[in-house]
Amino acid sequence: MIKNLLLFICIFLFSNSLYARKVGETEILTDEGIEVYQEEKYYILKKNVIITSDDFILLGDFVKVDFEKDLYDVTNIFSEGNSSLKSEVNNIKATGPNINIIVKNEQIEVIGKKSEFKLGEIFMKSNGKIMVNNLTGKFSIIGENSNMITESIYIEGQKIDGFFSTNSEEKEIIKLNVYDDNISFVQNEDTDMYAKKIIYDKKTSIIEMFDDVKVVRGKEIVTGDYGTLDTSDNSYKVKSNNTKKVKVIISNENE
Amino acid sequence: MNYLLSLNKKFILFFSIIFISIIIIFLFLNTFYSNTKEKKIINLQNLDADITKPKFTINSKKQNISVTANKGNFITENEILLNENVVFQSEKFKIISDSVVFDKVKHNAYSSIKSKFTSENTSIVSNGFNITDKGNKINFKGKTILIIK
Repeated sequence: MIKNLLLFICIFLFSNSLYARKVGETEILTDEGIEVYQEEKYYILKKNVIITSDDFILLGDFVKVDFEKDLYDVTNIFSEGNSSLKSEVNNIKATGPNINIIVKNEQIEVIGKKSEFKLGEIFMKSNGKIMVNNLTGKFSIIGENSNMITESIYIEGQKIDGFFSTNSEEKEIIKLNVYDDNISFVQNEDTDMYAKKIIYDKKTSIIEMFDDVKVVRGKEIVTGDYGTLDTSDNSYKVKSNNTKKVKVIISNENE
Repeated sequence: MNYLLSLNKKFILFFSIIFISIIIIFLFLNTFYSNTKEKKIINLQNLDADITKPKFTINSKKQNISVTANKGNFITENEILLNENVVFQSEKFKIISDSVVFDKVKHNAYSSIKSKFTSENTSIVSNGFNITDKGNKINFKGKTILIIK
């Protein structure tokens, strides 16, 4: 009895090792097969798909893979339903209804409700679409409930885009644009910034705010049409198109 | 007193037997109906070959696929069951299986047993396949493993 059990375990382990992925290979497992369309140059991986390579693991209910020359020459991977992507090499974790990977451009898109993307210490969330390009550092977050959190800043708006640094392991925002038809919101350590449009450039260290500007720092609230915050010394200015319109409210705790 | 000890043992035994019988019958019927097609193929495999070393070609605009096997048996006027070392080969790929039904008019093929596909830097192992649209569409069935080198 024990001999048979040991034999079974040996056969089981050996049969598993036959299909084990080797370094450099990409292994794709599906529960309900693969449909290959040779002329149209794509294949569909059906049900409980697991794609494992040296660089990433992608899970999804159904996955469409576009190729150029042959099945190995993958150009685009589109995962549909309960998709998740994990790349330890690139420090990426992404989850959402759909994930699109444009292989040659190294661009990843998470699409649909409750989409999430973690890039190092940067978290992005949206009910629309999150896009990150690993080559150029370009990113965008579009749709309802879009926000972004880094170690030092919180950003909220209908459309958030910009660039990450590409030359360092730790990603940091070097350019940022935040738009919202209602109001965008950026929060750093001690200041809340509201405006329809907020932009930031690391070269100048300046955050600019346009239209319906409101800056809140402690008990101090300043409103106007245009504002700037210098991140190097944390000072800020607010202007108005009509110079008389800048409003400052300082509330006193002792009142 | 423990409630379980108060139950009638014969009563429990009777219902257990009925319950197990129902499960066995259900599993038997399920297996029987799902394997009818495969059994037909397996039975046909035991027959002597109608054709030895059959060879066909699927011609399409972009590729020609040669179909070869050791044995072939006619199932219908157009459908042939190809057995033993069945190979579909084009310039781009090769599929090997041991039992494939091939339609010589429509140029479709299907298999319900383990099949292996190989092409440049790619291999696929599946539990059968369908070839339709003159070889343009290949559908690998069941749990499938694709390895890209």
